[in-house]
Amino acid sequence: MAAAGTMARRRQIGRSGELLLGSAMVLPAFVGLALFKLWPLLSAALDSLQTFRPFDRVSTGWVGLQNYIDLLADPDFRSAPVNTLLYIVLIVGITIPLALYLAVLLDRRLPASTWARNAIIAALATSEAVTALVWNQMYEPSVGLFNAILTALHLPEQPFLTSGSEALVSIVIMTVWKEIGLPVLIFLAGLQAIPQEVPEAAKLDGASERQTFWYVTLPMLKPSIVVALFMMTVTATRMFTPILIMTQGGPQGATNNLALYSYQLAFEYQSPGLAAASVICMVGVLALVTAAQGYLLQDKDSK
Amino acid sequence: MTMQNIALAKPAAAQQSRTSPLVVRNLGGIVLVAVIGAIFAFPILWATLASFKSTTEIITKTFPLSWASFVPLQATLENYVYLFTEVNFQLNLLNTVIAGAGQVGLAVVVSSLAGYAFARLRFPGRELVFALFLLTAFIPVEAIIVPLYQIMQQMGLVSTFPALFLPFACNPFGIFMMRQAFRDVPLEMEEAAKIDGCGPLRVFLIIALPNVKPTLATLVLIQFIWSWNAYLWPLVVMQDPTKQIAQVAIANLKSLPNIPMDGPLFAAATAVTIPLVILSIVLQRYYVRGLVTSGMK
Repeated sequence: MAAAGTMARRRQIGRSGELLLGSAMVLPAFVGLALFKLWPLLSAALDSLQTFRPFDRVSTGWVGLQNYIDLLADPDFRSAPVNTLLYIVLIVGITIPLALYLAVLLDRRLPASTWARNAIIAALATSEAVTALVWNQMYEPSVGLFNAILTALHLPEQPFLTSGSEALVSIVIMTVWKEIGLPVLIFLAGLQAIPQEVPEAAKLDGASERQTFWYVTLPMLKPSIVVALFMMTVTATRMFTPILIMTQGGPQGATNNLALYSYQLAFEYQSPGLAAASVICMVGVLALVTAAQGYLLQDKDSK
Repeated sequence: MTMQNIALAKPAAAQQSRTSPLVVRNLGGIVLVAVIGAIFAFPILWATLASFKSTTEIITKTFPLSWASFVPLQATLENYVYLFTEVNFQLNLLNTVIAGAGQVGLAVVVSSLAGYAFARLRFPGRELVFALFLLTAFIPVEAIIVPLYQIMQQMGLVSTFPALFLPFACNPFGIFMMRQAFRDVPLEMEEAAKIDGCGPLRVFLIIALPNVKPTLATLVLIQFIWSWNAYLWPLVVMQDPTKQIAQVAIANLKSLPNIPMDGPLFAAATAVTIPLVILSIVLQRYYVRGLVTSGMK
């Protein structure tokens, strides 16, 4: 009895020790989270409901949803969410199928696969800033490399980043080059996790290569596809550095998105209230994406 | 058994003669894969080659298309000399290393501590706090750059080195990765240490940490590459040019009005990119694992 009592008490002490130690070990991370994620979010949410004097940024009072109404009235703002959506649709729409194709191709482990895989990893490890600066040189309309190649092929020269209709697509193509490595690597990991016997059994049953891919491999890759979809959507939503370096959102707002727009509102137009409202809109988009992924993953687990 | 051996030996012997048909049969695929590799490698190789051209050669010889569009016909090191004597680019590189060391050191300590607590220690609210970390993992710095800057201002940290890395001390991916790794450490090892009289802190330091070295390596590498490649946050929060990091300094070479700096720009881009590319390819086992698990919730 007594022994059992001491045991229980010792366990009790162990438990409270774990509580103390556990809290202490999580504390640094929690402080970081609170200071640099939660506080900025909260302050953006509060700022978005106030107006400010432009230069000293002192609040001049609560205005309810006026900032959001002003945002909607600003024609520049309307192009920002539309472009954010365009970046998402184009980047996700191109990278996911292309990455799937590349992963299947690289998974065949042909002699040149290592070279291609290394090149894709190299693109991924290159910084956004350097990528944007180098592609900016290649896109240069009068002395750039791409127009030199087009001219040599007797094709018409293109304005690329200087044209309202081509600038966004040019940035998207560069982003696909840089970022496709992530979904490719996710799919390669997914493909390698599929037991060899499964596609082989399908082939023995008389399925063609194409049928095996569509009806056997692809469904088994679903978790990888969900993760890759999500990662690329976040990548496309947070697009910023290349736009800032290559076009500053121009020409005439053609490449501007929510991330860049709130930056400009805050640092160039000195309107913290509007900037905060724009930040909240972008966080809203990200929250929607996160919720959608949570839903999709849950769906997978229940099956 | 003998039958089987013979049956197995046959294709092995035939393999020699089949090697060339194998290559021929897959020739289309091999060429395709090689071309894909070339497309991905091209911008990096092109920029590296351009860094050995003079600025005039870059501007006048890229267009129209000729060998000079790609290869430096009069190779020169003048861009690198200019970079390291006139622009003091080594100072920016040093600042990048300082910011990187701060970020890697801090994030590894913070992630290991929190990861272990979430994996092994029982305390109320554990799952809730962990969920909070995961939930906020997908708010990138781009989304909160404006309020984050204001907070840095209130804390008086603008233009200081800690401002470059403090916001990234808490890396939810790192915490998640470490939690997974600690969960995979055999529980018996920790129990055995406890029976030998080790307290939970000693178990963490002596048993758990040495068992997650590969994951620690992954975390160090990923965090280092993130820090090395960061552009936007240093651009905003570092207004002292002598403390500015390399990525921002490179972009500044672009915006000098009327003085074309293409040569130094390519040289600087090469100087920061090539070491990192080599690192990521050589250590790709760790790099890829980090990237893939950072996506796997």
